Amino acid sequence: MDSVQDLILVGFSHRTAPVNVREQYAVRGEDLEPCLRAIASADGVDEACVLSTCNRTEVLVIGTGRETATALARQHLFRSMGDEHLYAFEGVHAVIHLFRVAGGLDSLVLGESEILAQVKHALDQARKADAIKRLLHPLLTHAIAVGKRIRTETELGRGTLSVARVGVDVAKQVFGSLEAAHALIIGAGETAQLVARHLASERVGSMDFANRTLQRAELVASEFGGVAYGLGDLKQALLRADLVVACIDGDGGLVGTDLFSARELNRRARPMLVVDLSVPRAVDRRAADLGNLLVYDLDDLEPVVESNLKNRGAAMTQADEILVAEVHKFLALRTYAAFSPVIGELAQRFDTAREQVLDTVAGGSASAREMQIAHELVKKLLDIALSTMKEGARNARSEAVLDREYQRFLDNLESPS
Amino acid sequence: MNTWIQCVTVLLPVAYMSTALLHGMAFAGDKQPPIAGWRRASLWTALALHAVLFALHARVAGGFPELDPWLIVSSVSLTVTLLWTAVTVRSRQASAGAIVLGVVGLLQLLASAFGPVTANVLAPLNAARILHVVTSVFAAAALVLSGLYGLLHLMLYRQMRAKRFGPIFRQLPNLEQLSRTTRRAALAGFLFLTAGLNIGIGMAHAQDVSGFDYRDPQVVLTIALWIHFGMIAFSHVIRGLTARRTSIAALAGLITLIATLLMALIPGITFHE
Repeated sequence: MDSVQDLILVGFSHRTAPVNVREQYAVRGEDLEPCLRAIASADGVDEACVLSTCNRTEVLVIGTGRETATALARQHLFRSMGDEHLYAFEGVHAVIHLFRVAGGLDSLVLGESEILAQVKHALDQARKADAIKRLLHPLLTHAIAVGKRIRTETELGRGTLSVARVGVDVAKQVFGSLEAAHALIIGAGETAQLVARHLASERVGSMDFANRTLQRAELVASEFGGVAYGLGDLKQALLRADLVVACIDGDGGLVGTDLFSARELNRRARPMLVVDLSVPRAVDRRAADLGNLLVYDLDDLEPVVESNLKNRGAAMTQADEILVAEVHKFLALRTYAAFSPVIGELAQRFDTAREQVLDTVAGGSASAREMQIAHELVKKLLDIALSTMKEGARNARSEAVLDREYQRFLDNLESPS
Repeated sequence: MNTWIQCVTVLLPVAYMSTALLHGMAFAGDKQPPIAGWRRASLWTALALHAVLFALHARVAGGFPELDPWLIVSSVSLTVTLLWTAVTVRSRQASAGAIVLGVVGLLQLLASAFGPVTANVLAPLNAARILHVVTSVFAAAALVLSGLYGLLHLMLYRQMRAKRFGPIFRQLPNLEQLSRTTRRAALAGFLFLTAGLNIGIGMAHAQDVSGFDYRDPQVVLTIALWIHFGMIAFSHVIRGLTARRTSIAALAGLITLIATLLMALIPGITFHE
């Protein structure tokens, strides 16, 4: 079974689950592979892949029905999650959804670029676990290509590209120029480094790093020219900071309210800003009640993102057109790929027929010229047959039909079944 | 001449309100080039009309006009607009215009409705008196601007605390800039008030102004305002005076300032009536 119709996608995202739900079901890096292997080795599953980011966790499965796929996902990833937070897409709708995700059209920050790396990571993980074969591999590879195309050919990739960037934009609305601001970045991973790059481009006054592993913090701090702290020294690091960006696995209370001194906060001329980009959240949500402290998590930043979205109407239309064309192209390629055993057999039969005809006509003593003519004729006929099949594959589902399908997908997006 | 004064008096609040409305349109997101052009034209028209009004008053009075409380309100409106224009030229941020010019329009509406048609000449007419009036008007205008920017700071801060990222978040200058303008306007007000207050006290002693007393409510409130805005001006070096507290203080100062100005309208309270 490797037809697109057998593809099932089950998951949740920032569209269906608020951050307090997402943080409960976030998959840690080290847990991802065992989960993937467990799903891929389940009865009836031909292929599987798990995409897990701060804002979504999705499972792609081939070989089982929708109910089994959902049950598997629930068993390994979404145990006891409310139905209202989960969505499932089948067949073409699953392809459309995946392409939208890769294109950044379903991201919290429209057009953000981090998701492409995350899809690539999911592909690598699945490949390592030997969980993807004839459909998911080309599907994920095509999704990455679609993501790149949308970012290159539309305006979506320009401007505010990531939640990291949105966080920095909010900081600018508090501090104006960041040149006099002291930043503390909690975490030393990819997002932390992205935040650091954005802050560096805004010429932030200074940048310190705090991380579980001090060596890693030191490594990043040496690159950006700041001081490194272990998490044990967080209180001391916070005293110096005007702006704190947390991008670390937090368990909900890594940065507790006890780390902030209310007395110190009320002595500051300007408010302290804390942007928590971690899922699960690293900063205790009660910190928002402290005076002279502004605390935002990913969900809080969504309205800022929405205002960016309004300015990108034309780019959205263009991206939608690209997406429909790419889904059409992918489906045509899949249909054509389904013909490949037939094509092999056809070529073989044509060769046999040529030999038979030559035997009948020339009785085993065909001249070189006669053999060449027969060979060329068979080749020509095979080419005609293949082009007709290709045409057929392309017309199996017209772009106009897909366009309507895509529209239906968008209409159902608000209430996914 | 009186007809001209009356015409300009009626047109002036309309001009300010129109300018505030055009800035409001920009605040709501309409930043199309024609709107931006009209905004500038409307602002300069209002300023020109205001200058014409005072020129006409001076011509009728035959010299520097004596400012009754409503003419003071009108001159404060003009000065607030001039100072705000200077702030926007420097910061290239005119998004606070809807609120600042809205308040100016309201003040001018009251001044136009209740003010005199013609003013008398300032008597006795001397340089010290003119300087006292001019510095006091500039001080009041700067303090009004400080209070208004304090109000804007509080609005934005409250929106950000409530995690609301609507037009106020998108359109207003950042918190730091609002706080800085509050402080700088307070500093300007403090300096002008230092000059105005000292010249006034000097004149009161030299000319033996009847009724002048340091216990006079308006004198007491003005000195309190002088200390108050002095602290606001230097709040960034005073520990514990957060930007939010400074903004609340500036807003409280604005209310006190209005009370101080209104005092002159009530007979028997102050020698300055």
